[in-house]
Amino acid sequence: MIKVNDLYKEYKLSKKQQKELGTNTTVAVPVNKINFECKPGRVFSLLGPNGAGKTTTLRMISTMLVPTSGNVEVCGLDTVKNANDVRRKIGFLTGSTGLYERLTANEFLKYFADLNDVSKADFEQRKNKYYDLLDMHDFANKKLGELSTGMKQKVNISRTMIHNPDVVVFDEPTSGLDVITAENIIKLIQDCRTEGKTVIFSSHIMTEVDLLCDDLAIIAKGNLLFNGTMDEFRANQVAPTLTGEFIRVVNESKN
Amino acid sequence: MNKIFTIAKKEFLDIFRDKRTLVRMILIPLVAFPVIIQLITTLQESQSEKQASEILKVGYVLNGQSEDMINRMKTDSLYEFIAYDDTVSLANAVDTKELNLGMCLSSSYDSDLSNGNQGKFSMFVRGADKEDYERFEKLLEQEKILIVNNRLSEMDKTPLFIEPLLIFKNDQSEMQEILAKYAGGILPYIFMAFLFMGAMLPAIDLFAGEKERGTIETLLTSPVNRLQILLGKMIVVVAFGLISALVALVGLFASINLLGDSNDVIMMAINEMLTPQLFVMLFILLIPLAIFFAGVMIPISVYARSFKEAQSILTPLNIVMVLPAMVGFVPGVELDYTTAFIPVVNVVLSTKMLLSGNFDFALLAITFITLIVLAAIAIFISMRQFGKESSILR
Repeated sequence: MIKVNDLYKEYKLSKKQQKELGTNTTVAVPVNKINFECKPGRVFSLLGPNGAGKTTTLRMISTMLVPTSGNVEVCGLDTVKNANDVRRKIGFLTGSTGLYERLTANEFLKYFADLNDVSKADFEQRKNKYYDLLDMHDFANKKLGELSTGMKQKVNISRTMIHNPDVVVFDEPTSGLDVITAENIIKLIQDCRTEGKTVIFSSHIMTEVDLLCDDLAIIAKGNLLFNGTMDEFRANQVAPTLTGEFIRVVNESKN
Repeated sequence: MNKIFTIAKKEFLDIFRDKRTLVRMILIPLVAFPVIIQLITTLQESQSEKQASEILKVGYVLNGQSEDMINRMKTDSLYEFIAYDDTVSLANAVDTKELNLGMCLSSSYDSDLSNGNQGKFSMFVRGADKEDYERFEKLLEQEKILIVNNRLSEMDKTPLFIEPLLIFKNDQSEMQEILAKYAGGILPYIFMAFLFMGAMLPAIDLFAGEKERGTIETLLTSPVNRLQILLGKMIVVVAFGLISALVALVGLFASINLLGDSNDVIMMAINEMLTPQLFVMLFILLIPLAIFFAGVMIPISVYARSFKEAQSILTPLNIVMVLPAMVGFVPGVELDYTTAFIPVVNVVLSTKMLLSGNFDFALLAITFITLIVLAAIAIFISMRQFGKESSILR
């Protein structure tokens, strides 16, 4: 379960940033008092154009950033006050997540299992589960730098799940990946839902949203434009396609 | 604590697999000195051999004076004397390197000498080949002694007449002390330079490199706090700085022992200096210094967007940090109640003091405490920088 309450984030703009953005304002507000809730066993999609505040929101949920005001609760734990406990419950994956290229897949997974206090027995059991599921046995002892993009993403998926998190956060997880690798991620998200985990993901790809999403929120310029179930979104749809409807909602907010 | 060591263990493994870093941190410091010393020794030996066997061509203009001096000099087979008629052609020959040297006697040379005055002559030399003249000076010295002895015997005096004092000098300082004073500066300079270089690559790789590779987010979403991450990585940066400095010292001492003459007094003194106690004391001083260096590098590396950006800032900083170590080469500058408070300088002067075998524990304690305070400040600044969202997710 994730509860986002009046979440607000601002940061100061340097003179250089002001010049780049062509503004006189000294403060940028990527997230402006947004509220939503992600439930276990459901997939929540966070949509928005570039610069909408999706990554900032997901980073606050996963404790990387501290909110300026408002708060986020993950499994009933505050992400600021109980950051380490929240991290134990979260698995985080992006399309651009890097790997330690001089380590092998085995060493890489063991490292994150140790950081998450996973017992040896649980580590072996979960590792083998994902090695079987994602067909990873052949390259388990190869250095990560020698692997293809698809293989690397499989290692990253296993790393995300090695501590069996209750909540999984995906920030544009299929961005820049080929179709086959993206399919692995889609499958993982579906499996997470089946296992009763809370899943939140941001994406630009509406077909993925259509395929996976139970609930969704649309944000633009840090403001929440829509928050509800996928069925509610479809019920109120004016444009003929989901993509068209998404664009319409975003454009409407500009007026 | 466990998490800190888990991070440190992983970083050690990661760095030990990076050939580029290993070459720069271990191989270069290890082989640099044996190679440099061997190269210098070989060059010097071949140069001296060449000089000793080369026949020097010396032209001369007698200017109507006796040829006695030239005839005496001619008995040395390593010189060839060629007579010239005038000074201009003699000078030209030296200029065009036809001759190594030229000498022109004054028209009153013989009479001056016989009257008990100074015999004058001009020398034509090339400043760029000053070794030739230095060699010839030895021959001239023999001539001078001969003239003086002749004059003394005419006066019924022995050569001791012009050496009225006979002094027996008893040097009470040990060779170790002398070496420490004049050559002790090189040692701390070496380990300081390698300490910085050894720590630099891991400092860049583990912070700026981690940001650039996009692995930092994964680490930040793991159940470890930033202080644990920082300390885990800092252990590795400090350790590699120390390893690099140690390896450089091993390389230096190995080359001295392998390439030097073991019966030489200086060699024996060097070996006497290198006691286990000295290494322990040095190590104790180097740990906080390495933390201080790491504390300077880490905030820069955290701030930098990429490996390259961090490297471009830290490389010139190397010179700024290690420059104060040059104070070790200045004779007379010693560890006192002022210099003990100046970082880097205090380590250099402490090392010189330790090498000379004189221990002033109060000054060593001040040095150590100063370094500990600086190391603590360095950790604090690193922590602040590592905690900044704007830096870490830049």
